[in-house]
Amino acid sequence: MDRSRTRHFFGISWVVLFTLGLVAPGFSRGAARLLDDEDEKKEEEKQDEKEGEEDDAYFAVVGGDVITGTGAVLRGATVLSKNGVIEAIGSNVFLPEGTETLDAGGMSVYPGLVALNASSRISGGLLAAEAPIVAGRDILDHLNESIGRALGGESHVDTPDNRRGDEIGDWEDLQGEQEAGAKGSKHNDSFDPFSPYMTMALAAGITTADQSGAAVKLKRGEIGDVVMNERNLVSFSWSTENPSGIRSLREKFRTTQDYLDKYRAWEERGNKDEKEPPKKGVDRSALRVLQNRSLARFRANDREDLLGIARFAQEFGFRPVIDGCREGWTVADELGRAGAYAIIIARDRRPKDESLVRPGGSKIENAAILHRHGVQIAVKAFTTSIESMGITGRDILHLPVEAAFAVRGGLSNEAALAAITTVPARILGVSQRVGTLVEGKDCDLIVTDGDILHYQTFVQYAVVSGKLVYDKEKELYFAHIRPRPEGIEDELEVEAVEDDGEEEPPEGDGEDDGEGDDEGDGEGDGEGDGEGDDEDGDHQDDDS
Amino acid sequence: MIGSLTWIFAVLCTPTLEEGASSVTSTTDTHSVEAGAPGGRGLAILSDKILTCVWRGEQVIDHGVLLVKDGKIEGVGRQGSLEIPEGYQQIDVGERWLAPGFVELHSHSAGASLYQVNDLNDMVYLANPGLRSSPGVEPAVQAMKMAIAGGVTTVLYIPGSGTNIGGQGVLVKTAFERYEENLVRDPGSLKLAQWGNPEDWGIRVGMAFEHWNTRNTLTRGVAYAKRWEDFENGKGPEPEFDLQWEVFRHLRRGEIAISTHTQMYQVVLMTITMVARDLGLPVFLDHSTIGGWMTGELAKKYGVPAIVGPRSIDPNFSRGMINWARNKHEGTRGIAAGYQSKGMEMIGFNTDSPIIAQEDLLVNAAMGVRYGLDDSNMAALRGLTIVPAIACKQGSRLGSLEVGKDADILVADGYPPDPRTTFSIVFVNGRRAYDANRDGRRW
Repeated sequence: MDRSRTRHFFGISWVVLFTLGLVAPGFSRGAARLLDDEDEKKEEEKQDEKEGEEDDAYFAVVGGDVITGTGAVLRGATVLSKNGVIEAIGSNVFLPEGTETLDAGGMSVYPGLVALNASSRISGGLLAAEAPIVAGRDILDHLNESIGRALGGESHVDTPDNRRGDEIGDWEDLQGEQEAGAKGSKHNDSFDPFSPYMTMALAAGITTADQSGAAVKLKRGEIGDVVMNERNLVSFSWSTENPSGIRSLREKFRTTQDYLDKYRAWEERGNKDEKEPPKKGVDRSALRVLQNRSLARFRANDREDLLGIARFAQEFGFRPVIDGCREGWTVADELGRAGAYAIIIARDRRPKDESLVRPGGSKIENAAILHRHGVQIAVKAFTTSIESMGITGRDILHLPVEAAFAVRGGLSNEAALAAITTVPARILGVSQRVGTLVEGKDCDLIVTDGDILHYQTFVQYAVVSGKLVYDKEKELYFAHIRPRPEGIEDELEVEAVEDDGEEEPPEGDGEDDGEGDDEGDGEGDGEGDGEGDDEDGDHQDDDS
Repeated sequence: MIGSLTWIFAVLCTPTLEEGASSVTSTTDTHSVEAGAPGGRGLAILSDKILTCVWRGEQVIDHGVLLVKDGKIEGVGRQGSLEIPEGYQQIDVGERWLAPGFVELHSHSAGASLYQVNDLNDMVYLANPGLRSSPGVEPAVQAMKMAIAGGVTTVLYIPGSGTNIGGQGVLVKTAFERYEENLVRDPGSLKLAQWGNPEDWGIRVGMAFEHWNTRNTLTRGVAYAKRWEDFENGKGPEPEFDLQWEVFRHLRRGEIAISTHTQMYQVVLMTITMVARDLGLPVFLDHSTIGGWMTGELAKKYGVPAIVGPRSIDPNFSRGMINWARNKHEGTRGIAAGYQSKGMEMIGFNTDSPIIAQEDLLVNAAMGVRYGLDDSNMAALRGLTIVPAIACKQGSRLGSLEVGKDADILVADGYPPDPRTTFSIVFVNGRRAYDANRDGRRW
């Protein structure tokens, strides 16, 4: 891992803290100290760079059609990575001497996928507990919720915050949080760099996996520095069946908000003799959310709950992450106003509750409708497991199939790609590093033999932090299925590459012919469905 | 309050209905029976591409027209060369394609049985060839409403696999409110289960006994049917009617087939050798997973189709795709691709709904292609249509867009097995059974 990246990362969080004006005096001092240290480090590193320039690792993926995820598609372009970070993308990229190159001619280059709600075995290996099979019914969280309800409060899933109790701890402690992410993380400790599940996740195009809320980078064969952020999500429960839980949640947010207001006022007055406002009753998780340092995640599906959450979030001015969001399409405008993120299973199925008159139940167009109302859509797989004993198309191994079902419901191809890359990266708080292919971000990418949303497409290569970590031809799982033609065989040359990559025949061209047409037509249907969607939009506008 | 919401809902729905109607070019709408339906005037559907799925012959008709009359397909041809009779309602679906409705041969979802009462998996004896699943059918259940939006127009509703012979399946359409209108054939099949559930029956029986029991039951059934055949040919006395064995007369006449819950190489082998080769009964492999593809050459020789699902790949079975010891690495075997590699063409797909949701049948075909099935001749689409139709002995009525067959037609905006493809209109028996604009989008 490149140290300069880490530093930059820290820089951002400091800026956030300062702009929010929340930094206690002691904290500021600490920060100043730390920044001094960083400047020193910078100097040191500059010297290091001069001395050891040949140690820089350059890696280039050459000649592929690069789908950056920002809307741009660069035909036959080169992605150059320096020490794991994207140095340049374009068609006239200078490759320094000694650049390792990967020929992606005739293939497509996408940002690595980000899998939400993934089995902990991906990073934890064979001995990790298998996550609950059914997505959206996380047994542990469910248990937590029941306990929370029994106690009349909101549930706390084991985020590190909650384990520390209700009092706001030592401010100093907060400084170390990013470091804790990298060093003191249980995910870091249990990371199995040789996990076959990880290999399979990479084969599925996944380079970042959500492991119980932590964004873990699938660095194969390496240990350390794999947890990018594990504190971006704090969970709350909201259920109309538990009004006392909602009441207590609101109280916590109210108390915390009051504290923040008082604190800001106190800070503005700058009266050294005046005592700091008391922290009593302040909820640590709520504080993080109100400070915009974490996203609040709710598991909710029913319209009433979604409405409640959307209004609650608007009341306190934060953007909720709603996991499930089955009936979101019925209140899409309200969720859009709340700036919500929705984590959905595109194929969610639940008929409308017959006893209710209002619209409800699952809807295949859920993602499309929500997206049209400004909700950021992330798609998760039907199950959390990496494979399903021979049943295919609905586990982590087939994440793009689930996204394809969102397209079936009318979501655009671009938004469907974002739903398994950019948006989950934002939800996990790592979008400054992964999710799109942009200069300065980590070089986590996949090379595919076609449209990632097409069911036939295989990942040919996966690259994580500028290193080739998966090659379909060299792993036992899928090598024999439509083997890569000779021409596109991987060639890791330690020299600059000629420009003949583009002329290579596309992989599996003969077989794909019958289906090339379909994709074109598939785009056509989006328009046809539009009418139906609008109709729904109208319903919920009138209802709300 | 609730009342006014309903009213708003109704008002909002009305214009949509009209929109849906106006999107088609209709000449006159005076008839009470819709065009194409039994008793109505003719219907002509014009489309840029018709995927016929005929067993042999032209698979794709560009700029085609499909004529429907009295619930049946009356003509298929090119626009311009096939004349549209006067008075026919014309629908031009433009860029959207036409394909036959899907035929699902392994469904437990055409009734409420599985969830409410157990009348689908009665395990009184280890072999129950007399039991019927037709009384359990409940038309227009939620699963069937979804099925039709997923392109599935016919299902074989079958008993479970708790015994060697669970009873008779029934072939029903997914479209209508009335059982009679849905019914294709009852009995529609005989359900045989060879391994992977029936061994748990009662006292827990072993494989040797199961095979004996199966062979014994089938042999007695065949003997019963033969006595009737002799009688009908004037060669013997009238046999005593026995409800337990009646289904074998249908089987012997080749009107239905045995659907066999069979998996693992050696069990699949027994299905082919015992049922098809030795007893000469029409049979297809159902599930046919976990190494079953290795029997492909034999299956082809004895004309036994393989209807693959709900699994579509063969992992190392006991441990999933991850091998604990990491010493027996094997690639991931696509099952449909495996049968195809043995020269088989009769490869279809099933869901074992609700194991996989009924409307997700197409996903199994897509996954078959993903894991190696050569789809250059549209094997995936054929595996959803003509192959299962022939396998269940309804090849002359279902599974392709051919003259004389049921007008079960999908209007699709892409290649039907692609999960991104939607079906905006589905005709069943010539009736517009599902219309996304009219009914609201279900899937």
